[in-house]
Amino acid sequence: MEKQSEIIRVTGLPVAAGYNWSAGSQMEGFIKALAKKKIMGAKCSKCGYTYVPPRSRCGKCNAKIEDKDLVEISGKGSLVGYTTARVELDGAGNFQDLKKPKMIGAIKLEGSDSTIFMPIEGIDPKKAKEGMKVKVQWREKAKGELADIVCFKPEKS
Amino acid sequence: MRNVAIIGCGQTKHSSRRRDVNLAELVEEAVTNALVDAEMTMDEVNALVVGNMQGFGGVAQPEQWLGDWIGAPGKPVIRIATGGTTGGSVGQGGYYAVASGLYDVALAVAWEKHSDSREPGATMGLAHVGIANMFHAFNYGLSLKSLAATAGVGAAAGVAVYQARYYMHRSGCSIEHLDMVAAKARRNAAKNKYAHLQWPDCTPEDIAKTELIAYPFRYGHICPASDGASAIVFAEEKIAVKKAKQPAWIKGLASFSDEENQLQSENYGGVGVLDPSEQMGCRMSAKKAYKMAGITDPKKEIDLAEIYQPFPSQELLFAEKLGLFDEGKAWIAMEKGETDINGTIPTDLSGGVNATNAIGSSALQRILECALQIMGKAGEHQAPKKIRNAVAHGWGGNTNYITVTVLGDSPRR
Repeated sequence: MEKQSEIIRVTGLPVAAGYNWSAGSQMEGFIKALAKKKIMGAKCSKCGYTYVPPRSRCGKCNAKIEDKDLVEISGKGSLVGYTTARVELDGAGNFQDLKKPKMIGAIKLEGSDSTIFMPIEGIDPKKAKEGMKVKVQWREKAKGELADIVCFKPEKS
Repeated sequence: MRNVAIIGCGQTKHSSRRRDVNLAELVEEAVTNALVDAEMTMDEVNALVVGNMQGFGGVAQPEQWLGDWIGAPGKPVIRIATGGTTGGSVGQGGYYAVASGLYDVALAVAWEKHSDSREPGATMGLAHVGIANMFHAFNYGLSLKSLAATAGVGAAAGVAVYQARYYMHRSGCSIEHLDMVAAKARRNAAKNKYAHLQWPDCTPEDIAKTELIAYPFRYGHICPASDGASAIVFAEEKIAVKKAKQPAWIKGLASFSDEENQLQSENYGGVGVLDPSEQMGCRMSAKKAYKMAGITDPKKEIDLAEIYQPFPSQELLFAEKLGLFDEGKAWIAMEKGETDINGTIPTDLSGGVNATNAIGSSALQRILECALQIMGKAGEHQAPKKIRNAVAHGWGGNTNYITVTVLGDSPRR
């Protein structure tokens, strides 16, 4: 096999569909807090389940989650699951080989009950294990956008 | 089959852009309002029937995302998508869930969030209606410019212009009558706090001043694209009587897909006829629903109608197909004020789809508005007379699908 991307036969998308989703006020708050290098979560006042990112209605007990229920979450957590990507989209609907494999992991942050998916760096995919401790890697100049969280790295590095 | 009644209704305020909430939060508002109205908690709801227009809003299976927000986890959920009639089908699905005996209480939820798409409607969702427009263009001839213009102001407009022309030709109705219907819709909407295009004291002359898009439609004739959601609580007879002072009983219903479907028309080897204002599917739905409801003379027995009328010509022609007026005579009755709030058959007192169009939700709102009128909960747009029977209509699919639901103040016997 010369190129990994050749096994996936997609050459360009036929149409472009434009969307403009509104995130909701809690998610907007989450994104704005990233500018201060803060991760916000929402703790349900009825059942205690904590969501990252925050949301306005508890999916576990259906209680309303208010702005006062927002809590700051640490940037530390543990790896719950992961995968390693070897190809990526080029932005025009075509696959291309990655220069080096990219690890993506589900991370459970301390104080949170839900998980978030983020790129993982600094871990050899062959040595990765569920339960490994990781911490957030911020972009040097945070701007209040999702890309402020660059990736997660091993806690001891 | 068990008797089923509506015991709670909830809506959101409709507007062009609800950017303060995401899709799930928008839908949750309507659900919360319906549960409050029914004086119920989610624990008492046994099953959910949900839906929006397929492909709109850019979420492929929205019920899976927003289920968490509306209390669906741990409960049976079915999603129904029949295009513009989605809400009508969702409402009828709520009825079936309870009437069948499977569940005692069902929640019907429908929504649309147009502003989540960059284009009016939605790129992928619009393809459904686009196909219908194309077939009309092939059949009758329509310049690309006109096709683009009609698609730009409301996707189904490309179909409805022909429908309006046929209707006007057959009935003698003129463009001024369309101005009157549109002005009535905007005036009525001004009395409905949830409606979108509210224009108190709007006159037909105001509408006549707006730009002509494709004859006979002016800009002022055409519905908006709204963000909004609606929800209805359906319950079996014993619960309904216990929970609501005046439940709105479902007395009859039917839905037919018929000849308006251009893919089945004579031109393509099918059996459908070519007059898009014929709407046999609506006649057949009405006939079946009235029979089930025990209504023999809809002109006398139906007290109020909520007709799906994104375009004003549709309020007139569908009123005839629903048997409320003689063929070709609805515009005369409208001109005399018989469809006004004090008329013989008040029609679209909510402002209807012409004033508020969150597509997936639009046909459910017709059922919801009939229920509000029967329950006496319509507020400022409540009809002064006692509403014993009301008819709710939906038009959609690939512009070929009809839902008709008859509601009443007493259960079926």
